[in-house]
Amino acid sequence: MTSFRFSDALLWSALLIPFAAPQALAQAYPNKPIRLVLPYAPGGATDFIGRTLAQHLGDTIGQTVIAENRTGSGGIPGTDYVARAAPDGYTIVMMDPAIAINPTLLPSLPFDTFKDLQVVSRVNSAPLVLVASPTLPVKTYDEFVAYAKANPGKLNFSSAGIGTSPHLASELFIQRAGISAVHVPYRGIGQSYTDMMSGKISFAFSSFAGALPFTADNRVRPLAVSSLKRGAIYADVPTVDEAGMKGFEVDLWYVILAPAAVPADTVGKLNAALVKALALPEVKAAFAKIGAEPVSSTPQAGTAFLKSEYEKWRKVILDANLQQK
Amino acid sequence: MDVFANLTIGFGVALTAQNLLYCFTGVFLGTLVGVLPGIGPVTTVAMLLPISFTLPPVSAMIMLAGIYYGAQYGGSTTAILVNIPGEASSVVTTIDGHQMARQGRAGPALGIAAIGSFFAGCVATLLICVAAPPLAAIALNFGPAEYFSLMVCGLIAAVVLARGSVVKAIGMVVLGLLLGLVGNDINSGVRRFTFGARGLADGIEFVALSMAIYGIAEVAYNLEKKAGQADVMSRIGRVWPAWADIRHCIPSILRGTALGTLLGVLPGGGALLAAFGAYTLEKKVARHPRTFGHGDIRGVAAPESANNAGAQTSFIPMLTLGIPSNPTMAMMIGAMMIHGISPGPRVMTDRPELFWGIIASMWIGNLMLVVLNLPLVGMWVKLLRIPYRLLFPAIIGFCCIGAFAVNGNASDVLVMAFFAIFGYLCLKLDCEPAPLILGFVLGPLMEENLRRTLLISRGDPMVFVEEPISLGFLIVSALLLVVVAAPAIRRKREEALQE
Amino acid sequence: MNIRAPKDFWSGLMFIAFAAVAMLAARGYSLGGAGKMGPGYFPMLLGGVLALIGAILVGRSFVIDGERVGRLHLFPLCVIAFGVCLFGVLLEPLGLVIALIVVVLVSALASRESRPVEAGVLALALAAFSVGVFVYALRLPLPVWPALLS
Repeated sequence: MTSFRFSDALLWSALLIPFAAPQALAQAYPNKPIRLVLPYAPGGATDFIGRTLAQHLGDTIGQTVIAENRTGSGGIPGTDYVARAAPDGYTIVMMDPAIAINPTLLPSLPFDTFKDLQVVSRVNSAPLVLVASPTLPVKTYDEFVAYAKANPGKLNFSSAGIGTSPHLASELFIQRAGISAVHVPYRGIGQSYTDMMSGKISFAFSSFAGALPFTADNRVRPLAVSSLKRGAIYADVPTVDEAGMKGFEVDLWYVILAPAAVPADTVGKLNAALVKALALPEVKAAFAKIGAEPVSSTPQAGTAFLKSEYEKWRKVILDANLQQK
Repeated sequence: MDVFANLTIGFGVALTAQNLLYCFTGVFLGTLVGVLPGIGPVTTVAMLLPISFTLPPVSAMIMLAGIYYGAQYGGSTTAILVNIPGEASSVVTTIDGHQMARQGRAGPALGIAAIGSFFAGCVATLLICVAAPPLAAIALNFGPAEYFSLMVCGLIAAVVLARGSVVKAIGMVVLGLLLGLVGNDINSGVRRFTFGARGLADGIEFVALSMAIYGIAEVAYNLEKKAGQADVMSRIGRVWPAWADIRHCIPSILRGTALGTLLGVLPGGGALLAAFGAYTLEKKVARHPRTFGHGDIRGVAAPESANNAGAQTSFIPMLTLGIPSNPTMAMMIGAMMIHGISPGPRVMTDRPELFWGIIASMWIGNLMLVVLNLPLVGMWVKLLRIPYRLLFPAIIGFCCIGAFAVNGNASDVLVMAFFAIFGYLCLKLDCEPAPLILGFVLGPLMEENLRRTLLISRGDPMVFVEEPISLGFLIVSALLLVVVAAPAIRRKREEALQE
Repeated sequence: MNIRAPKDFWSGLMFIAFAAVAMLAARGYSLGGAGKMGPGYFPMLLGGVLALIGAILVGRSFVIDGERVGRLHLFPLCVIAFGVCLFGVLLEPLGLVIALIVVVLVSALASRESRPVEAGVLALALAAFSVGVFVYALRLPLPVWPALLS
């Protein structure tokens, strides 16, 4: 079809030869920008927390920290990318409870949470709030539980998809309260508020940021928060624990993870810089805007925390028979 | 009237030098990213979100809003020039817009798109001023059953807009629906049709699919023409639309604006359905519908007006209810939260300077866009003078970067290569891609809403006809089907009589 | 029997092929009932409808006259698709500059009118432009140079 001359072929191949680039010199860590992978879509809570943290971590570690979105379902592609990255401490990831949920929920993961990754530090703690439709004849947590028990199988609850923290929080709540209700998944809790206002959805566990616009003018009712202690936001709403379900705690936490083979002294440097960044008042103020609180930890305490979360959700998932085949 | 007092507050805020600058930055960036493939408003807003935290809330929102509707303008430019729709809603624009470009009428196509968008933007903004709360109430009345029926209606409209065989168009819609289901099922978490490929877990990327079947397949199709024939586009006629063109389009712009304004209010697919619906409507009311698909300027004017009107009114549910109608809006809600503002009905009363300032800025932004874009038309048209042998490798290169950049995922590029081959076969077989794209975008939404409706009704399908709005859409769908089928039936009968 | 409408015939076959793949794959997903639809319900339904439409097209193509399929020119198509695949494979290990130059040069081969020197200049210019716009101005996370070198 194409008439081809040998001289042309030579020219083509000459053009296809790649060229070289300057080689980076080895110096003490960190001597080049660090990439903080955010495995969820831009614009959400993960993105905000991650970008705020990246900015301040850059100051405390003395190197630019670039926040990079690598999105994909359940944060798996982003986490997998870091699990396989060079173990030099220049590629780290911030993950949410999905990292503790997915090993039980999904039949297979491309990485092993505990073998391929290590915790550098915890990042924050952010409770959820139990909200109910204004069409239900209930005003308080107690009335709600009583109503739900009197109407088994009639209520619907929404979530941001199967196996997400808001979903599992509701499952845990249902299991412990002895209620039966139907799970209706949405692409995000935000989408479900219209249906909650009209009464098609009866209740949900939502992040503070997601619920505030709707509870501010009572278009949906806040009934209880999922932390053990009340915080600054929803200070007049009881915790589920004090309202009667002892020890009920669900947290939308984040942790920073690095590839498992990163040497201990590098992890130590990263951890020290993270602890310093998380203690900054600016960080505290920024996190507070979406109802989160900075929490730092040692790598060991972070690992122990991750294990306990894994055990907690494993039980909920197995009891509700949610695991994928 | 209150509206004037409110608008005075609004313009007072929007006309300060600082806010004018941010508005301009927003619409300029929006136009730029709308033109570049793969980078949409979502990516841009995400990149600028951190900067916006340091600005006063009103300026931040004005800038982010500008990016959003500016990108709607920019998206039609590539749709017309090189047949690559930047956004799902400019898919319809490619049908007649690119045909016009091939006939050397790229200038009038771009011009009418800008004029139609400007008019639609102004009207929609005015409507937000006077009727935001009642329009917001429409969105509140839409539950899963209503959305499902609306989508049925939209898909049938897509069949009507097809140029050739109705059966093939239905086939393409259904195939699009199936392609839309690839990836994680949110109801069960099961991964469907991924065939073990992790890159498909989140489904087929829209940008990769649309660039493949429009952009790349089109290039392959053009290359097989004999030398010189492919350069038809470089024959440039006039740069501006003639007055006769504009007058010819006025009714289309009006209808497109009306439809876009109404459907834009609905979260999820509203603006997209508006563009498809407006095109279908034009084709149905036109005296000579056969000119559609062959470079009819009304086929550009109506959907462009509709998608820009929809882009403006999609702010209504966000500003008045706090409900995000699309991912960009979700991010803007995030931005407001971070500034300590809870979006919802109280924004209007608690922060009137913010609410009315944003609305006034939209009007100013639309004016800026038209001033910015009309002179650019001349430049864009000159771009087509570049010989095709230089233009097409550049198109392929940009498509590749775009497909990768959306998710930073190399497998999206491979998906694009696969669908380029598929798209070429469709071109050869006269299977139109527009119904496929609509099905693709609506497929997951349709399934979700169907399953959601039946979960909530505990399996009773009667809800679809018991809810009045849902029933209305189903009746319209049935009527549309009759309209589609009638000419075919009549023809059959005539054939039978002749025999 | 003669195929009287080849375009319809082949379109129908294409639909049937997609439907077959969809329905075979959907066998593995549970169907569920109306109240709690499984992940296989909607795909099965759509697959069935698509197969039916394909069958109608094929059947009709023996009865009604229609257009012939134009000649397929697979060379430019395959060259371009190959170039795109190369970009996908090369981008992460070798970076944007090399991957872009490769895809531009390879796809230039698809046209008889391309000239090597001109294509080379175009490739370099596009690479410079893309690095400037996408990497520096828009700050997209794209690797610019080979991973081994940075």
